[in-house]
Amino acid sequence: MSMADTTTAGGASAPSVMPIIEARGLAKDFVIDGVPVTALKGVDLAIRKGEFISFVGPSGCGKSTLLNMVAGLLPQTAGEAFFEGRPILEPSRQVGFMFQSPVLLAWRTVEENVLMPAEVFGIDKNTLRDRARSVIEAVGLGSFRQAYPRQLSGGMQQRVSLARLLTYEPKVLLMDEPFGALDEFTREAMNLELLRITQAAGITVLFVTHNISEAVFMSDRVVVMTPRPGKVSGVVYVDLPRPREIAQLQDPRFTELNFTVRKLLGQGHDTH
Amino acid sequence: MTHTDQAVPVRRPADAGKMKYRLYSIGIAVAVLAAWELAPRLGLVSPIILPAFSAVMSALFSLVTTGFFMRHFQVTLSEILIGFFLGTFIGLGLGTALAIWPAAKKITYPFIVGFQAIPKIVFAPLFIAWFGFGQSSKVVMAVVISFFPVLLNTMVGLESVPDDARKLMRSLKATPMQTFRKVSLPHALPVIFAGVKAALTFAVIGAIVGEFVGASEGLGYLVDLYNHQLRIDRVFAVVVVLAGIGAGGYFVLEWLDRRLIFWRSSDTQ
Repeated sequence: MSMADTTTAGGASAPSVMPIIEARGLAKDFVIDGVPVTALKGVDLAIRKGEFISFVGPSGCGKSTLLNMVAGLLPQTAGEAFFEGRPILEPSRQVGFMFQSPVLLAWRTVEENVLMPAEVFGIDKNTLRDRARSVIEAVGLGSFRQAYPRQLSGGMQQRVSLARLLTYEPKVLLMDEPFGALDEFTREAMNLELLRITQAAGITVLFVTHNISEAVFMSDRVVVMTPRPGKVSGVVYVDLPRPREIAQLQDPRFTELNFTVRKLLGQGHDTH
Repeated sequence: MTHTDQAVPVRRPADAGKMKYRLYSIGIAVAVLAAWELAPRLGLVSPIILPAFSAVMSALFSLVTTGFFMRHFQVTLSEILIGFFLGTFIGLGLGTALAIWPAAKKITYPFIVGFQAIPKIVFAPLFIAWFGFGQSSKVVMAVVISFFPVLLNTMVGLESVPDDARKLMRSLKATPMQTFRKVSLPHALPVIFAGVKAALTFAVIGAIVGEFVGASEGLGYLVDLYNHQLRIDRVFAVVVVLAGIGAGGYFVLEWLDRRLIFWRSSDTQ
């Protein structure tokens, strides 16, 4: 399994920069009802700091498995994953994980939810309160600080979930279909905001999605994955200029890239 | 932000509709009490078998003003409360232990299910033999039948924490204690509380059954005594008092429930 990934291979001119996230031959086998299943075949990947990278593919292609291993939530069967050059053996507070569901605590206000990680980390909440308030402001929930989750719409709850991550300033965000449960319009608005916030803060994002055009629109690179066994079938570099705007959706280059991803997905199916 | 996601207003049931249902309830209560009053008076049933409602009320007033009745009342009330608190405490402890320690659950679950299959009032004569005629045998009876709903609901509640919530806490490197206190316990609280409410009802049953089987004081003892004396008006008077204890406890728990679990949405109440 080789990937045409030369981003950090080190051109003669560019100084070689250590990737923030790296995978070498990362693989995962599960045993389901006594039958071994290869969830992910060896993946090689190097992600540089500040990069926005998407993983697309149908269910069972191993994209969530990959994300969970990078998060340190799931041990790999073979290979290794690195965060800033150190092997990933357990979750790190510098790497934040965002789920498809907002996972808010119903008995806490928006602000208390956002400050929950601080409590877990043993940081004095008062030192983070100003930071939390400005992040809540930044995700557009300034007037809902004291609201409870059930008073918020699905999109707003997911904003709280994002604010909870951003408050403790992780270097990397791992997002597993974070807006998959939202309606099309809300999702688009959330995507634009996510880009604005993470690009401004230089946060590296690993973004798992089913949606091809979403992946292309958001990313610097799109990793295309195919199932049975889960593997990387190709990587598409997105050379659309940043900041990304909705107008780029009618750029012929955008359409072309979409089609390239689609073809890679199709190839994976045909060889099976 | 965008016009596409606005706050969902919290729904409130219409007060007018609530009022209407309350009127129906009151109407049914009045009809039942009127039938109760009239049936013996019109000779439809013998007043010895079913004394009129007014006769029960006058028996109640003459009883509650006596010192001896208050003594019996206190005996039963303390049996119920001690049994309820002990049962709740034991249920919470065991339920938590089984939820956080899977091996313990696997080992002991068959015994718990087997124990629950026994109709526990058969133990009443045994407890009298073991713990005597006094209050302790009644407290034990109340504990034995009241702890189980708390145990079961605590276990189920703690185990029903969504996987993503556990995963979130893991990604934050939370300690098991932090996960328990910040996520699992509050999450389980509504379910635990339903078990606690059931425990109160069971504690009342336990105390009364214990007194039926062998006692020299308490409200259950009085019911048995008056029944033998054919003072059915007084039997009903004691039943009214017991209903009062049950309802009073229920309202206290209901009030506590609303205060503790304030986040529960109004339409799941």
